[in-house]
Amino acid sequence: MTPPFSILHFLLLGRGPGQGPVEVQRDARIDVIRGLALLIIFINHMPGNVLAGYTPHNFGFSDAADVFVLLAGVSATLAFGGIVEKRGLAIAGLRIGARLWTLYIAHIAMFIIVCGVVAAAVTRTQNPVYVEAINIQPFFSDTFSALVDALLLRYQPSYLDILPLYIVLLAGFPLIYCAARRSPALTLVASIALWQGAVGLGLNLPNAHAAGWFFNPFAWQVIFTCGVVLGLGVQRGVSVPRLWWLDAVALGYVLLSLVAKVSSGNPLGLAVLNDWFDSVQLGTDKTNLAWSRLMHVLALAWLAMRWLPAGGALLRPAIGRGLAAVGRHALDVFCAGTVLSILGQIVLAETGFALLPQLLYSLAGVTLLVGLGMFLTWYQSITLSGAREMRVSAQQASPSPR
Amino acid sequence: MRETGALTIVAIGSSTTAGAGAGSDDKSYPAVLQEELRRRLPQINVNVVNKGVGGQSAYDMVLRMDTDVIEQKPSIVIWQTVVNEAVSDIGEEKLAKILRKGIRKVQGAGIDMIMMDLLWLPREGRYPHYESYRTLLKVTAKEYGVPVFPRYGVMKEWALSRRFTPEELIGMRGTELVEAGYRCLAIRIADGIASALTSSGSGEPGVRGASH
Repeated sequence: MTPPFSILHFLLLGRGPGQGPVEVQRDARIDVIRGLALLIIFINHMPGNVLAGYTPHNFGFSDAADVFVLLAGVSATLAFGGIVEKRGLAIAGLRIGARLWTLYIAHIAMFIIVCGVVAAAVTRTQNPVYVEAINIQPFFSDTFSALVDALLLRYQPSYLDILPLYIVLLAGFPLIYCAARRSPALTLVASIALWQGAVGLGLNLPNAHAAGWFFNPFAWQVIFTCGVVLGLGVQRGVSVPRLWWLDAVALGYVLLSLVAKVSSGNPLGLAVLNDWFDSVQLGTDKTNLAWSRLMHVLALAWLAMRWLPAGGALLRPAIGRGLAAVGRHALDVFCAGTVLSILGQIVLAETGFALLPQLLYSLAGVTLLVGLGMFLTWYQSITLSGAREMRVSAQQASPSPR
Repeated sequence: MRETGALTIVAIGSSTTAGAGAGSDDKSYPAVLQEELRRRLPQINVNVVNKGVGGQSAYDMVLRMDTDVIEQKPSIVIWQTVVNEAVSDIGEEKLAKILRKGIRKVQGAGIDMIMMDLLWLPREGRYPHYESYRTLLKVTAKEYGVPVFPRYGVMKEWALSRRFTPEELIGMRGTELVEAGYRCLAIRIADGIASALTSSGSGEPGVRGASH
């Protein structure tokens, strides 16, 4: 347990109890939650799917996207922050550059696959609603400029808007990380100021066919920055303080949000809350990130840090291992899941949203995604051990000069 | 408008408004509507602003109703929505609240609204809730005296009329059919607006309430 003083010390100066960063074990909780978020995103991206009525966004203000971005901040810090500490900013910058390139290529590949899938579906079924479903009409009406806009990330069909956000956030990571090392508290203040300033001024990155990006990076950086600060805390060996009052506040907020989402009208009967209930029941601003979403995802994160067992406990059941495998290969699973969910939109409509095909398709999709995660884990393990053997045998074959 | 001699119309909506499937932007229905209204009302400076964003939900549009619609100070707003809600079945009660919020915002700013019925689909069985969301759209619009342009009926009549052989309808390249549809849609709306404007005033076209 760390006394509150040490938390203050960390928040103000970015210092942990020890000298500098500690060796960080891979936290199974991050992989498991991220895996779960990816599977939920797959289900949610088939609107009208009966299972989408039971995913977390029905029971709280934030959804899988908020969790995904928060964990992206945490894991970027654990992955690239460690490189900054050990090998310097320049090497870390190169590694981040390579990662950005991978993300960009993945996004463009997904764009082309999705356009092809929808184009084939529209011409074969003559159903104009598929065009609407993923906002693909710019690609049909003016393919050349849509292609250029897609390459410049100025055109993002629906569901293809998370990776561009992640690309921008990761590109900003070195700056956020270096600021957070000096003072997490000041970094958070600056991040919130940027978010609120951008919302006030209507600042967003350009979108060729709308007012701006669906996920406004100036807004969503605040969740990512929170993730970076959390990751930095882990990296500096700061343990989570036992703040019972904060547990109560977080739980209270999560419950309030649950009540607001599942009821209609104002269940508390307090007249001052009428408008608030009314507005959060209709929806929350996702583009500019409503406060209610940020508070909700932070409350969930706090409760997870306090009450989810750390270490390997989550990995003991098979379901935990499956989810962790998904979470460890987030990019591959996310891309496969996006294509599968858009294909699913077509399958569900063509089968008239009958219950059985919905459940079968969802089950098949989840199985495929978990299978992909497990396959990649296995593949990685054999290629890694293969590389290690090669290195060892190479050393044995060629005796060193000394 | 009476003072300025200008008629501004904002078309807010999703793919249909943005011009889904049309070969180029100037074939979207708001663009054709502007062209047709200018021809019918040569003495007035007609502007139709296209604020269609493909794939958007009614809630997304309510969020941008202030900046995209009200700040443009139009005389008339044409709101095309609900298709995404019918597909994802977000709940009729919730949708009704969202629509009311949007209508109240626009009417509160003293702007007339026209809503657009859902599009007619060759196979509605794909979306089991389609018809009930259509009904909800019309009922909610009626509550506020908002006229609904009968796009569904127009499209259905047009598609089922013997003017087109099945080969023509199915075999036609998608964009041509869609463009023809937009043109038809825009002409019908233009006729409606122009006749309402010219019949309400004495010589001088009126604005407020003219679209009802």
